[in-house]
Amino acid sequence: MSDTIGTVAPLSGTKFFMNFPITATSHTLADYTARGGYQALEKALHQMQPAEVTKEVSAAGLLGHGGAAFPAGRKWGVVKLDDGEPHYVCMNADEGEPGTFKDRWLLEHVPHLCLEGLIIGSYALQGRHAFIYIRGEFDLSHRRMADAIEEAYDAGLLGENILGTGYSCDVVLYRGAGSYVCGEASAMLASLEGKKGWPRNRPPRLTVKGLYQKPTVVNNVETLANVPVIISRGTVEFKKVGTAKSPGTQMISISGHIARPGVYEVEYGYPWQKFIYEDCGGMQGGATLKCIIPGGVSTKLLSAKEMEPLTLDHNSALAGGSQLGSGGMIAIADGTCMVRLAQVIQRFYHHESCGQCTPCREGMGWMERILNRIVAGGGRPEDIDRLYQISTANDGTTICSLGDSAGYACSAILDHYREEFEYFITHKRSMYGGGLVVDDPFASALAATGSQT
Amino acid sequence: MIEFFLDGVPMQAEQGQTVIQAARANGVDIPHFCWHPELSVPGNCRICMVEIEHDGNDPWFDISCNMPVTAGLKVLLNSELVKKIRKDTMAFITLNHPVDCGICNKSGECTLQDYHYEHNGAASLSRDPKTHATKFFPLSDRIMLDNERCIMCTLCVRFTHEVSKSHALGAVNRGDHTLIRPAEDANFNADQYSDNVIDLCPVGALLSRDLLDHSRVWYLQPTPSVCPGCERGCSINIWHRKHEWKLTALDPRMNASIDRVTPLENPAVNGLWVCNKARDLARLFERPRAEQAMQRGTAIPLSEAIASAARLIASSRNPVALVSSWGSNEELAAFHAALAQRLRAFVKVDHMPQPGEVLEDHLLIKPDKNPNRRGALAVFPALPDDVAQVMTPDTDLVLVWGEGFDGARIPDGATVIRLDAFAHDHNARADVFIPISIQTERSGHYTNFDGVVTAFSACFPLKPSIAHAASVFSGIAAALSVPADAVSVQLT
Repeated sequence: MSDTIGTVAPLSGTKFFMNFPITATSHTLADYTARGGYQALEKALHQMQPAEVTKEVSAAGLLGHGGAAFPAGRKWGVVKLDDGEPHYVCMNADEGEPGTFKDRWLLEHVPHLCLEGLIIGSYALQGRHAFIYIRGEFDLSHRRMADAIEEAYDAGLLGENILGTGYSCDVVLYRGAGSYVCGEASAMLASLEGKKGWPRNRPPRLTVKGLYQKPTVVNNVETLANVPVIISRGTVEFKKVGTAKSPGTQMISISGHIARPGVYEVEYGYPWQKFIYEDCGGMQGGATLKCIIPGGVSTKLLSAKEMEPLTLDHNSALAGGSQLGSGGMIAIADGTCMVRLAQVIQRFYHHESCGQCTPCREGMGWMERILNRIVAGGGRPEDIDRLYQISTANDGTTICSLGDSAGYACSAILDHYREEFEYFITHKRSMYGGGLVVDDPFASALAATGSQT
Repeated sequence: MIEFFLDGVPMQAEQGQTVIQAARANGVDIPHFCWHPELSVPGNCRICMVEIEHDGNDPWFDISCNMPVTAGLKVLLNSELVKKIRKDTMAFITLNHPVDCGICNKSGECTLQDYHYEHNGAASLSRDPKTHATKFFPLSDRIMLDNERCIMCTLCVRFTHEVSKSHALGAVNRGDHTLIRPAEDANFNADQYSDNVIDLCPVGALLSRDLLDHSRVWYLQPTPSVCPGCERGCSINIWHRKHEWKLTALDPRMNASIDRVTPLENPAVNGLWVCNKARDLARLFERPRAEQAMQRGTAIPLSEAIASAARLIASSRNPVALVSSWGSNEELAAFHAALAQRLRAFVKVDHMPQPGEVLEDHLLIKPDKNPNRRGALAVFPALPDDVAQVMTPDTDLVLVWGEGFDGARIPDGATVIRLDAFAHDHNARADVFIPISIQTERSGHYTNFDGVVTAFSACFPLKPSIAHAASVFSGIAAALSVPADAVSVQLT
């Protein structure tokens, strides 16, 4: 084994994924099998019926890690194995939520674990073909996943008659073209079919009519990576980690004005405050935490005070008025102009709105134009109410949930920092003079980790 | 059948219907832009949102076009929440719409215009510039696209994918800069049904290049008619200028011209669509007309021409008639009653397919390009391909009714009587020529290939120098029944 080239975060608790030193070869099949890889696949294929695998995943209480935290076992359970239709499992690796980059770590460092989860999932649903939709910008992840698939085929872990069990599965690796909305499951399937990446109305659900109008399960990378863990460790061991309602671990990617940004694996129920101030080293340059975006910019932000009593699990985040979402945290330091933050977020949503349904297509651009005007000094007193109104008009009225969440993102900032908007509109300048009080985050991050690049 | 409630009123729905379909079947129209009974449900306009009464606390609302009716479902169409959502949605839809109704061809029959007054009515809340997009993008040789007016309902895109199957349209870009564009690998010009997207478009984004800036729609009136383009006989509306808006200063011919043709729903024949040939009926009917009765090229009064024709028929020994496959059932019956005893009649093909014309396709177009061949064949035998079989050398008179039969195929020495609506060189060579009316000047019925009989009505008045074919036949018959030297024809 070659030299360690990276470290994993020194965080206490059980690690399902970040439990090995990263070396130049740690992502390869040889290293992965040396760590006990593909034993879960062997166990599932040799000792378990497909329905038993689904039952095991259900019993483990595995929650989806893509953002909505929908129980994975329940999603799988909808697909009827004897309906005579082909079934598809798709790995959603189109990780585009701003602030989220935890799937990227998994794809780059444990591609075989993700793949093993996909094959087991496909076996559980008796799918002949499985799909991986990978974000177009993820170059290394794509290459590593492509290599992993090659290695798996060569080792007889994919293709015809896997491990001599008679079960066959082929994996299609598909690269996205840089659209945020293709991370939404139905848009992803449309894109996979070669159509424009437009989300589709439910009903019918994707588990009834998904890819090519056949029952399809779309799971996040991390969700599928949990499957081999559950199969090899067993439900009881899995449920010992985390909280009763959110068992297991969560990969958290943290960025922003944080001293040690990066990807961390935490057990559900880990104290949020401890995570930020101890494990991540607090804020850059000793700044004070102003607020935190907990799970990608689509989740409502939490002020430092709101965050403090919470723990890192879905129920606690929900009780705090937000969601853990995809675990893409952004820490924001005191002195950050929230009007400009809202502008940046809204520019993103305007750029990425797919243009299909009316409220989001028109509303995102409208909000950005209002925010641009406020930042340019042309704000009007009624603008704040207008922003609220547009957010509300988007709530629940769009095909996919991205329209709602775009509204939440802005209304949560307004809820917390309305006075900054009022100040900007009246004084035609930011409350904070426009500059950020912290150091250059990249320089500090490099200094903190001691990397040489 | 299952029972559900619309605003508290119990109604019946069929299993599997969506709320919008069930409401429509019960005569309630839920506002919609993107939904269409014949197309898939994209649910993108969001204007058909309805609220459902339920026990829970959170309001339950969703689009009615994608909501299956369930037993006992309590749908609210006019709750405060629904009104608010509609108003918000209308505000969104008009946000970047130019609202240039004053110069828009769709004005007066625009769904957006109607819904704005019905569901919003307020001025725009935005103080920021609207987004700009392409104006007058030539989508095809027939259709202009104004991207700024487009509200992205995607009806046109779905039409080309699901009905016409040309797959010629798609959407490019994202967000509020999404544009409808022709597909790179398809040809919208070759789409035989392309003009239907103009009718489908709920706003003035897709514009007929023929009608563009030609007339306001409120100056026009529709007259139900039948497309004579092929044996399908699609039901159509022929739009022409209202009498009360008659032009006096401009070219008076514009008062009697076809301004546009739209499909008329007829499930037994054409459903909701017609092909582009029907749209171009003006080109078919507004060809140079024959307006003067003639005797070997010399103008004579109409009544004299009919008397002359009667004399020629009376003195012939072996006369043959070629009846028109564009004649209405009424005209064919009139011919049969008046002249079938005197002449051996055969049905001729008036129109052959033009070079490049589509012969037959998956949807409507049929190979026989005559509207009433089946109706004519019910009364008379078909003219054989080898005309010598029926026009033997002793044939001394040929009556040709309608277009499509030139003099070369008529036996030498035979007398020729022609009835035609359009100007042709051979008209002047006929021994007697009588100008007759076209479809838009008379009422009648056609029988299509399937045996479905459809009516058409007159749109325009007939000039006094032109006769209806039925009157000509009865006039000839009347003249034949009295001594030849006392002929005096009264046109009915």
